[in-house]
Amino acid sequence: MNISTRWLREWVNPDVSDEALAEKLTMAGLEVDGIARVAPAFDGVVVGQVISCEKHPDADKLSLCQVSVGGDENLQIICGAPNVRQDLKVVVATVGSKLPNGLKIKKAKLRGVESRGMLCSENELGISDSHNGIMELASDAELGECIREHLDLDDQIIELDITPNRGDCFSVMGVAREVCASYDLTMPTLSYQAEVKDSTDFSANVSNAKACPKYLTRVIKGIDNSVETPKWMARRLQRASQQLHSPVVDITNYVLLELGQPMHAFDLQTINGDIDVRMAKKGEKLELLNEQTVSLREDTLVIADDEGAIAMAGVMGGMSTATQIESREIIFESAFFEPVSIAGVARSYGLHTESSLRFERGVDFNLANLALERATELVLQICGGEASAINECVDDTQLPKVEPIAISTSKISKVLGFELAPEWVESKFVSLDFDIIQKTDTSWTIVPPSFRFDIRIAADLIEELARLYGYDRVPVKSLTLDANITSASQATVDAYDLAQVLVNRGYQEVITYSFISDEYQDLLDPEAKKITLTNPISEDMSVMRSSLWPGLLQTIESNQRRGHHNARFFESGLCFGGISADDQVQKIAGAIAGDRFSAEWASESKAVDFFDAKADVESLLSLSAQDVTFEAAEHPALQVGQTAKIVKNGCVIGWLGALSPTVQKKLSLPKVFLFELVESDLQTGDITSYQGFSSFQASQRDIALVLPKAIQAMDLIESIKSLKQALLIDVHIFDVYEGEHIAADKKSIALNLIYQSDEGTLTDEQLNQNVDQILSHLQTEFSAHLR
Amino acid sequence: MISTILTSAEKAIVDANNLKDLDDARVHYLGKKGELTALLKGLGKLSKEERPKMGEAINQAKVEVQALIEARKEALELIELEKRLLREKIDVTLPGRSVEKGGLHPITQTLNHIQKIFAKSGFEIATGPEIEDDFHNFSALNIPEHHPARAMHDTFYFDASTVLRTHTSPVQIRTMEKQKPPVRVIAPGRVYRCDSDVTHTPMFHQVEGLVVDDEASFAQLKGLLIDFLRAYFEKEDLKVRFRPSYFPFTEPSAEADIECVICEGEGCRVCKKTGWLEVLGCGVVHPNVLTAVDIDPEEFSGLAFGMGVERLAMLRYGVNDLRLFFENDIRFLNQF
Repeated sequence: MNISTRWLREWVNPDVSDEALAEKLTMAGLEVDGIARVAPAFDGVVVGQVISCEKHPDADKLSLCQVSVGGDENLQIICGAPNVRQDLKVVVATVGSKLPNGLKIKKAKLRGVESRGMLCSENELGISDSHNGIMELASDAELGECIREHLDLDDQIIELDITPNRGDCFSVMGVAREVCASYDLTMPTLSYQAEVKDSTDFSANVSNAKACPKYLTRVIKGIDNSVETPKWMARRLQRASQQLHSPVVDITNYVLLELGQPMHAFDLQTINGDIDVRMAKKGEKLELLNEQTVSLREDTLVIADDEGAIAMAGVMGGMSTATQIESREIIFESAFFEPVSIAGVARSYGLHTESSLRFERGVDFNLANLALERATELVLQICGGEASAINECVDDTQLPKVEPIAISTSKISKVLGFELAPEWVESKFVSLDFDIIQKTDTSWTIVPPSFRFDIRIAADLIEELARLYGYDRVPVKSLTLDANITSASQATVDAYDLAQVLVNRGYQEVITYSFISDEYQDLLDPEAKKITLTNPISEDMSVMRSSLWPGLLQTIESNQRRGHHNARFFESGLCFGGISADDQVQKIAGAIAGDRFSAEWASESKAVDFFDAKADVESLLSLSAQDVTFEAAEHPALQVGQTAKIVKNGCVIGWLGALSPTVQKKLSLPKVFLFELVESDLQTGDITSYQGFSSFQASQRDIALVLPKAIQAMDLIESIKSLKQALLIDVHIFDVYEGEHIAADKKSIALNLIYQSDEGTLTDEQLNQNVDQILSHLQTEFSAHLR
Repeated sequence: MISTILTSAEKAIVDANNLKDLDDARVHYLGKKGELTALLKGLGKLSKEERPKMGEAINQAKVEVQALIEARKEALELIELEKRLLREKIDVTLPGRSVEKGGLHPITQTLNHIQKIFAKSGFEIATGPEIEDDFHNFSALNIPEHHPARAMHDTFYFDASTVLRTHTSPVQIRTMEKQKPPVRVIAPGRVYRCDSDVTHTPMFHQVEGLVVDDEASFAQLKGLLIDFLRAYFEKEDLKVRFRPSYFPFTEPSAEADIECVICEGEGCRVCKKTGWLEVLGCGVVHPNVLTAVDIDPEEFSGLAFGMGVERLAMLRYGVNDLRLFFENDIRFLNQF
């Protein structure tokens, strides 16, 4: 909300600068987003009047004017504006004045004719970008008056960011109340009372008193709505970013800004029969003031006449009953709509109005009468006419109940952590208009005023005290540390450890959006349950990911487009198998593409392959020293024959493989190798239990076997281990060969066997015995024979 | 005879330009079939009287040749070493044989930094689901249906009562449901708002903090957060100010500003000429929130705070465009 400091100071005028006032408001909880002068600095500019206006003898587009600025002598001024004319009240920059654009006004000759000053446009005064000729002042403007004074240009506009709990501050009066409480000033008392001259008895009925406990109307007849809204009012409305309409509408807007009461004016002659405040009928049509026609829902409160809805209550009036310049008779509405009934209604129709903004947050239910009298006064003053008596529909039982709140100094100290003097506390309650209905030396029972919808419990009162005391003056204390030593196992691997493993292996972490496109989801995890947002930002971000691969692949694709072909990316984050908490699983995934290293002088660059990715997975697994197997399998996103599922205790905990060539082509990607694991399966390991080692030398034997191609390395190793040879401490594959000298359906695998005994160095005989056992076992199992 | 051999041996040794030639010379004179060895073998043919004299002379010659060979060998080895050193000289300024450079995302680094600071004060890490129900994301946090604060949240929906969490505050609720006081946790994580422009991404990160104890006051909240902000920005005298604000789940509520770290409070574009930067929201947990999780607000009080991680990262690293964090451009990520 934008608020004029000059307007505010008409209510309360603390003896501080506007800047200090703004700072004070911020520190009291009304955050100031900015403060701006309505006009830059200049002087020597006054109100003048064009006494005569002739064409310049030597220039078609220039006028030669005699201008009075109230002195004995007229000024001869040459003006180029098309709207300059005789009798016009104008803005005169006199000789010696300096304008905001740096122009210094001097006596000058224009095409041979002397000019002693300049008639100014808004643009030249720096108050708008308008180039619509020179400014035209009101005909009653006083000649010679300083223009800063006349146009109130020393005003500053404070932009307030008002929090949802402070609906009471959406008005000059509301902000003034805050200023009073902050500076210990007193609010002026308001009293408006129009003389009732018209006897029209217009009755309104409220069918839904719960949503509308108070509905006041007043008829004013014989007005002239074609007059101009007074400049002072227009100026204030414009400085509060309000558009100008006709005087009646401008007055309702003015009262809204001044007092915070949204009002509406209907043209009496357009209303058919009586007014009823009721819920809309399903599908009832209403053309709103913004020319939008809405089909109403039954949860929407409306103002209706005998024909149907004529306004959306508390949101916006209807077109058919709007006041026009020609309107002669109007009905003013000033009501209290209950916040919960109004909340969300405007938004649900895509509307957001000054009225709904205030009603949703709560408008003082004791304000309607005052505001109606104020608006009446202004109408009578500006448009003339005669007012009728106020018609009141009030259901006291439905008005908000303001319960007393008990508070004590001990409660205050407990929450704030320090003590406030009881006298000070009490004085603040008074300055906040809180009604103290009971008290002791250290406790009070108070009733908050009707405009404070946010004060309901003791904590609310404590906040009021704290903010008026000043948050910055609240002392700073330390938490009392009563640290619990928690019982995370030493074997726990945290997410940071996992990430660090991949970082050390050259991976760059990425963070991608958790929502992805339908296309990616269908391509990469077609079997997953699809969890779709009802209101996504775009189609590309509409499905919750069930895997981290889509984000990683998009990252590879976008970086590739920028010329970065080598990729090692990983991400760790939640993946969604359903909407329940248990179905949201933390995963860690990686994707590699391009060369193993960037081309460099020291090593030949080589494209990454399956086993690069596998090594990275093995590193992750090694942190928790798990018994995990890789088994050939199939996955819709991965290439057949280059896919492994990662299995632990019979459960699949992850996948590893080459991206399927079909998917790769569809997504315009290079060859990519991917892995993904469930993080929790990597986070629990075992605590190491120390095993003694032999002091005798180990012996090694290498054997090269020829065996059918289909035999998997893991099966071979497992088979050897199944013999449970006591002396065999390790076996690993050191060569795999297919090709020349080996039959087409065969391959050669070379194994390195390591034997060691606790009792002595092994003899050749012992070794041979062991190796022979393995050879004959493998021969039977896999028809493997020595190469 | 001996002297002739000695002279020729001397010449052969000096002429030897490498270890092999030198060894050939050694064999030629001292080897089993060498010239001096042959002389020794011939001693038997000499008279008894001549034999010792001649023997001594030959042995003398042998020692001399041996010494010459040793000396020459040492010299040649030195030359060889020098040659080898020259041959093996490398350009030590060439880059090391590397794996690709990896790194953590700047947001993760920021989260780690924040977590480490709070860990020192005994804060545990709590997590929660990102697809949340209405109760945890709103109702339990004292944001009933139709509360204006809901409209401010730009919520993503799956159905009427299932949302993407709009803040990390639901983790407060989930923590208190499971754990009785004392509670001291921070909850880092992703949050979502249906908003996307220059200064908003539909997903971002927050860190929530919660303390519940029989004594926990606003004054302590100030102390904790001032300490945190000074530790985070590594500036012991960082100016911090607290302003009243509004969150449905805290009362009193505050926002904390720090002096602008870009202009040091002078006023610049980043701080909109105010000299201050808003960095977090906080407050004393609203009694309704404690009641929602069956904690008696008369017995216990709570302190809560929440901060935007991207904002803290942008200020720390001087990143001027929020969207960079989620574009995952390697040229950006590599810088951290």
